[in-house]
Amino acid sequence: MIAGIDLGTTNSLIGVYESGFPTLLADSEGRRLIPSVVFYPENGTPVVGSEGLRMQALHPERSVSSVKRLIGRRFGEEETKKLNGPTGTPVTLPINGQNLTPEQVSAEILKKLKAVAEERLGTAVDRAVITVPAYFNDAQRAATRRAGELAGFVVERILSEPTAAALAYGLDRLQENSKVAVYDFGGGTFDLSILRLDNGVFQVLSTHGDTSLGGDDLDEAIAGLLLRDARITTLTPEMKVRLKEASRAAKELLSNEESTIVRLPFMEGSKSLEIPLARAQIESACEPIIAKTRAHCLRALEDAGLKAEELDQIILVGGSTRMPLVQRLAAEIFGKQPNLSQHPDEAVALGAVLQGAILEGSLQNVALLDVTPLSLGIETFGGLMNVIIPRNTTIPAKAGEMFTNAVAGQSGMKIIVLQGERELAGDNWSLGSFEILFPPSPKGTARVGVQFSIDADGILQVLARDTATGSEKIVEIQSAVEVSDEAVEAMLSGSLEHAFEDMDARIFTEARLKAEEMLPAVKAALEQIGSELPESEILEIRERSSEVQAALESKETVRLKQALAALDNATQTLATRLLEKAMG
Amino acid sequence: MDPFVLLGLSRRPLLSDDEIGSAYRKLAGESHPDQSGGDAGRFRELGEAAAILHDPARRLRQLSGSSSGSLLPPEAAQLFPRIATILQQADNLIEKQVATSNPLAKALLLAPLKNLSADLDSTLNQLQEWRILLDQELAEIDVRWPEHDPNPISLLADSYAYANRWESQLRERRLAMESLSG
Repeated sequence: MIAGIDLGTTNSLIGVYESGFPTLLADSEGRRLIPSVVFYPENGTPVVGSEGLRMQALHPERSVSSVKRLIGRRFGEEETKKLNGPTGTPVTLPINGQNLTPEQVSAEILKKLKAVAEERLGTAVDRAVITVPAYFNDAQRAATRRAGELAGFVVERILSEPTAAALAYGLDRLQENSKVAVYDFGGGTFDLSILRLDNGVFQVLSTHGDTSLGGDDLDEAIAGLLLRDARITTLTPEMKVRLKEASRAAKELLSNEESTIVRLPFMEGSKSLEIPLARAQIESACEPIIAKTRAHCLRALEDAGLKAEELDQIILVGGSTRMPLVQRLAAEIFGKQPNLSQHPDEAVALGAVLQGAILEGSLQNVALLDVTPLSLGIETFGGLMNVIIPRNTTIPAKAGEMFTNAVAGQSGMKIIVLQGERELAGDNWSLGSFEILFPPSPKGTARVGVQFSIDADGILQVLARDTATGSEKIVEIQSAVEVSDEAVEAMLSGSLEHAFEDMDARIFTEARLKAEEMLPAVKAALEQIGSELPESEILEIRERSSEVQAALESKETVRLKQALAALDNATQTLATRLLEKAMG
Repeated sequence: MDPFVLLGLSRRPLLSDDEIGSAYRKLAGESHPDQSGGDAGRFRELGEAAAILHDPARRLRQLSGSSSGSLLPPEAAQLFPRIATILQQADNLIEKQVATSNPLAKALLLAPLKNLSADLDSTLNQLQEWRILLDQELAEIDVRWPEHDPNPISLLADSYAYANRWESQLRERRLAMESLSG
């Protein structure tokens, strides 16, 4: 039996295929949705699920939530900015004096799911299909697979979430031939996949997304809104957890109600908060975040070679699609009412169960043709990315590349493997590097074939092929940053010593760059539409501009920053006028 | 292996995307490694065959046996300067807009972005008109098929290759500009 698992940012689910139907399994209290929160007591085993969620409010420093946003990440990336560690090394979380990897934390959630299933079924459950966001890269997929193995599963497949949702949607429409988009907006990630459904074959045409865009971000925006009115002096970790919980609860409530009152008793000492909140307020705070999904939708349509009107259905899944604003924006992007037939929390898990059934042969005449979301390539001479397997290639996929020696007697060369869509090698994610060895030979005559293959999990394998014998050998990819502990220490202490003297200089440089961009922009804008503004406003803008100029010459950081802020403020109407004019 | 044979399609110039797609999906569904009796090697070959046939340039080269890029079609020579200029302008403007952080400077760039976007659209239209002519020519060759003259076929293949590449480059810039201003 192969279990299907949706390992979510906020909640996780497990299910199995029983007598011809996918079934999701509930814990002893009858809940199918297991909160993806892990609490680490000082002694004893970690506590997962709703109990973990309760403990998090009391001990945020010993609890981990939304670990999915960290899995497969490195220190120094945008998503890990709140954590300290040597840039470029895999991220870890300090809990109870230990450094835990996100895989270890995810494994606790998976162990809990395994226990729930085993208790319900009365048998061992040790094979699983685990879903990941479609836009997860190689490192994130591999780390999720490791988490499954740490939890004691044989991981039969890493499956993309929107593909899983499409499978759940299409199961009782197997005879149909249609084009659908799956708009999957979850707790921490967003994906848009476009599929062709054709007589039991689910062909993914394209996929695009953002692995750091989800309900978490909406909660934070709402928390910001609450905090603005709250007059809190210092925000402790406990208060943050409560505020975020309250924001999430208000968001969920306002999907059905027009207004609510957020109550946080004894928030700071004896001070309790009661903040009225209307749906319109949270919508204007969340709109810029949700609007980010638009670019991904357009990109996926472009890559699929389709126009929005050619799609038969826009299927919404993921908890965040319960928000009316999300539904409205999806309708606006695609020009049609979205399909809400799928359970937003359960469709992905059901799809994972179905993929398990396909793999064990109990669901026949159904096939998933999935794609790799990101282009795979190598760094070429000159620091450019040379694409070997383009994005949206159906997986499993393979591509060979022949390498030769550039000079006589060259003993080998280092190949850096990249994933991403940017032209410059350095702008892409580096998967690591490997060395190929040449036998001694004249220039251009040594030949080593290297085969890059992306398996059905979307994970890369590299094979070096001996062209003479045809034998193949797996190449180990060295992580991009195999730095020794001493080297890391040295890097850290070095940067700390310089940190303070650098800081002021850096802030001034940033402000100077901004001023140098701003002053000519103000001048040009005044030339264009200055005549349309009242004299007093022009005068003010001129004054503020001269103050920026003076502050720039004085080289005083604080003065320059204040002057810039004032100029920014004074030119707001000007910017709006320009925008209106351009939009015509 | 011959992509037409592999997908069970007749060897002719005119094949619709739907014909190729549904032949591919049926066979690929059966040979996907997850299926019992699946075959990863065949699955990949099918994918490569479908990619060749979906691209009219590569499909025609399969039929004519010619290799790529031997000729510069006169329409391409005529269009090239305009396309090169507009691509360069778009790249410059997009780069500027991305590098700009303050709202006033961004607002100043909107008008030129809008103008360029109109230029892009009209160039795309021009390409589309050319493509309609190419499709007509393809249909005429298909009517006379299998009787054919190899020279116009390889010229048509090259024309498609230019038209496709330029169209995707222009659309790429338009998408980038849309997500900047939207």
